Amino acid sequence: MNAKKRDRVFLFMILPAFIGFVLLFILPTIMSFAYSVTNWSVYKPNYKFIGLDNYVQLFTDTKNIAAIKHSVTYALVITLVQNSLAICFAVLLTRKSIMANMVKSIFFLPAVLSVLVVGFLFQYIMTSADYGLLNSIIRFFGGSPVNWLGNEKIALYSVLSTQVWQWTGWSMVIYIANLKSIDSSLYEAAEIDGASKSQSFRHISLPLLYPAASFNILMSLIGGLKVFDAVFAMTKGGPGYASETIMTTLIREGFNSGRTAYASAFAVVFFVIVFVISKIITFLLNKWEEKIS
Amino acid sequence: MITSKRLRSIAINLLYAIVGAMMLLPIYYLIVTTFKTQTEATISPLGLPKHLTFDNYINAFNAMNYPRALLNNVLITGSAVIVLILISSMAAYVIARSKKKIYKWMFSIFMVGLIIPFQIAIIPLYKIISSMHLMNTLPGVILINVFCINLPLSIFLFRGFINTVPIELEEAAAIDGYGTFRTFWSIIFPLLKPIVSTVAILDALAVWNDFLTPLLFLQDPNKAVLLQEVYKNVGPFSTNWTAFFPMLVLATLPLVIFYLIMQKSIIDGVVAGAVKG
Repeated sequence: MNAKKRDRVFLFMILPAFIGFVLLFILPTIMSFAYSVTNWSVYKPNYKFIGLDNYVQLFTDTKNIAAIKHSVTYALVITLVQNSLAICFAVLLTRKSIMANMVKSIFFLPAVLSVLVVGFLFQYIMTSADYGLLNSIIRFFGGSPVNWLGNEKIALYSVLSTQVWQWTGWSMVIYIANLKSIDSSLYEAAEIDGASKSQSFRHISLPLLYPAASFNILMSLIGGLKVFDAVFAMTKGGPGYASETIMTTLIREGFNSGRTAYASAFAVVFFVIVFVISKIITFLLNKWEEKIS
Repeated sequence: MITSKRLRSIAINLLYAIVGAMMLLPIYYLIVTTFKTQTEATISPLGLPKHLTFDNYINAFNAMNYPRALLNNVLITGSAVIVLILISSMAAYVIARSKKKIYKWMFSIFMVGLIIPFQIAIIPLYKIISSMHLMNTLPGVILINVFCINLPLSIFLFRGFINTVPIELEEAAAIDGYGTFRTFWSIIFPLLKPIVSTVAILDALAVWNDFLTPLLFLQDPNKAVLLQEVYKNVGPFSTNWTAFFPMLVLATLPLVIFYLIMQKSIIDGVVAGAVKG
């Protein structure tokens, strides 16, 4: 009797979250799949089933392939750079001192700013106009100015570097917490055995950083795949289509051009990419976990 | 020996100072520029401003409709965080405490949202929000921020924490005649304080800095949030960056103040969110 009542209360407690989530997340996700095989657009409100035409069209457009490549490259590079830097700075800043604490706070500060604001700020810093700060500094040291956002070979990486500046501190504080949790007797034992600092880092710290690394890697990877705000603020996908990503393409096709079904097909492709990449990464991370335990 | 140790410590502190200064340089540049004229900013971009005038700020404040935009941000962030804490703590409690299969199954549905970005659902979502007549309304943006963006992580964090709360407390409460609902709110919820603060901080940062949702779902200029005001002005002010920069400062100032006051809790919250994950 009592258990039955408890079950009813339980259902009542979980339903607000579950109904909202199904209605606003699961349902539209499934709808994306359904729309992707129709010819629905703002101009064709009476849509019909057209099979895989949207997908065929999507993969024959080289701009889309480029956008997918940009997002994947961006995600992989930012994951690698951000995590390596974060680990270096974490090692540097784990020691207890007022100075280290202050620098830690400074490193984290950019993470509370909005990506859009950081993007706009760096758009001015990296501009090739006379007042561009970065080029002024380069000229001051005798270098020749670089067209950071206007050169199609480097525009995407210029955007990426601003995001490294913004988010390294976030990953770093997680690595620092992980480093502090490592039993210091391990280092003492290594020192007695005559291990050098770099040896004990390689053989003690690095493997035991697994928990922080697995979280940070997955987060920066997924965050990187859905990059939108930073590109939107800094290059709008340009020059040409050189820094166009999955999300900027999806928003442009779906909202600005009104090709809703076509954009839905792109969303499905996005789903598959995120799913496959995160599966691969979790597989690799599990392998790593097995190896250290 | 002592001197070499001392030297080492000086070297390390010097390294800290250099690295810290380099990180701060863009922010320093942003702030000093807001007090300069364009000529002054071009001639000496990194020098201290010659005059301390707030004209740029006053113009930016007016161009952004600052009080109203700020209010919209506060309303959206405040409501979203409160709703998130209420519904995700209850849901997580059920998932943690009930042995029924259906709740484990619901939990795995929620967890889909941890990996799959809601952006893939954004076009149908637009249709759903329109048909609910929530287009261009604050509740529309709040609902999306709650259910599409922040709910899965919040439930995940609450569940991890509730698993560590001893179940004996609830058994004692049941003997005292407490119902399930009352037990949760009067006995369990007060114990969740640390994780409530973690969830509140992570969600508040995410909601406050979300630009995509208002961009697409809040197109009424009277309901614009701070970031939309910045975005609206970037075109008209594109050649007048010393007048535009104060908008960047004003848009981020509330969160920076929040960070300066709550620094330790924010960093602890970020760490707790990762360690539980």
